[in-house]
Amino acid sequence: MPFTPKPHAALLIVGHGSTENPDSSTPYFEHADEIRNRGLFGEVHCCFWKEEPSMREAGYMIDAEEIYVVPDFISEGYFTQDVIPRELQLEGPTTRRAGKTWHYTLPVGVHSSMTGLLLQRAKEVAPDANPAETTLFIVGHGTGLNQNSTKAIRDQVEHIKASGAGYAEVLDAFMEEQPFIAEWDKLATTPNVIVVPFFIADGLHSYQDIPVLLGIETEPGEAASQREVFRHNPHHLRGKTLYYSSAIGTERHIADVILDQIADFDARLHETR
Amino acid sequence: MKLAERLSQAIAAGIRRIGQVSIRPDLAGAAYALCHIEDEAADPHSLEIHNGAAAARDISTWAEDGHYRFTKSELSLKRGWILRLSSADELKQALDLFYPAGVGLWMADKDDHLKIEHLRDKLNRQTGMYRFARNLGDAGAQKLVREVCGPSNCCVKKILWQIDSNTPLEDSEASRFDGVVGAFDRQAAIPLLCREACNHFVAEARKASKAENDAKR
Ligand code: SF4
Repeated sequence: MPFTPKPHAALLIVGHGSTENPDSSTPYFEHADEIRNRGLFGEVHCCFWKEEPSMREAGYMIDAEEIYVVPDFISEGYFTQDVIPRELQLEGPTTRRAGKTWHYTLPVGVHSSMTGLLLQRAKEVAPDANPAETTLFIVGHGTGLNQNSTKAIRDQVEHIKASGAGYAEVLDAFMEEQPFIAEWDKLATTPNVIVVPFFIADGLHSYQDIPVLLGIETEPGEAASQREVFRHNPHHLRGKTLYYSSAIGTERHIADVILDQIADFDARLHETR
Repeated sequence: MKLAERLSQAIAAGIRRIGQVSIRPDLAGAAYALCHIEDEAADPHSLEIHNGAAAARDISTWAEDGHYRFTKSELSLKRGWILRLSSADELKQALDLFYPAGVGLWMADKDDHLKIEHLRDKLNRQTGMYRFARNLGDAGAQKLVREVCGPSNCCVKKILWQIDSNTPLEDSEASRFDGVVGAFDRQAAIPLLCREACNHFVAEARKASKAENDAKR
């Protein structure tokens, strides 16, 4: 669906950011650039939990009176439900304060169009792998801390299975809870395996931690931007052919998911009027 | 009036610097050009030319020694570049990458619209692992300002907050700093403003508060 431009509104993309690794905020700036270049909003900005500008400062960069806030996060949870509303002083889906209207959408990761993106990424990373002989893993962090992210991944797995993409198996796996991604070769019964990390950024998890768990690397390597872990596909390991993708959030088309989330928000707003 | 228009008016009226960035209208054939303040006197041809606002992020991400500048007001911007920008909108975008929200904070302050948050309020709204920062005592907080903020600790923002509404910061280089780098006409610079303690400060507050607690036991 084409997105109706909003020249009078601002888009504010909220990300996590990192005090250790600048690659962690790169996707947010890229998604912002992509949408800015399409001229769909009067202004496009980013703000962060761990980097500058902070959420409290973000409002000072914005001219527009109507602001769409999109959490560039993979699932609902502590950040989208506690931290962001608190820091941006949001009272619900729409907040009016000091002459400005703030709309708060759902996080990008829970939008149904993520399924298509995951499939596209899997195809790109393993163009010659026959799906009928391939297991697709969607990988998350998985700790007790955020059950929602685990659920978001399980939901995607179900959507992909139902999509008719033809993969022999589609499995969820996690770094720190069962089923463990470290056991990918035992979990998968097919000769080919594709692993897509369900994170926004290529932070330390997808550059360093998961490659070690997979057995591509023996120990965590140097700083992320110097890494080449994604360039050496496929890996012949543990008797299988393994294709490893960068984090799904680094995908350029996340910009479209951001726009989809805004369009859905507007549709809901319209219904309740 | 839009922030970018106000910014271009301020530049027409003589504003030339923010932080370690020099703002130069009509240089190198662009509407605006930016360079490091220590490269102001350099021959523009000797500097590496970049175009467009997005390049500001690349220029400002790493310090000369290779460390990641996650605090943008850190006194470690690298030299040797010139950034050409085609409009006031692009200029504002670029400055927001060098000094996030810096222009807007300055204008809000001039308009008396800047909301300042004192340290206690900031610490009291921390949750998760940073909750413990709440327990930091006043003396510990004052000490932390001297140890974390100010140019000698590499941060060049002017602190606007107090410990709480009744407790100003004690006098120190950090609390006195006015947000403008170096000996420069104060009227021609946009000061960098700190309206609430940053993440780095909160993380240090958590550590200091834990140390205080351990010392009591
Ligand atoms: S609290 Fe403000 S002045 Fe202190 S280090 Fe952080 S940004 Fe700089």
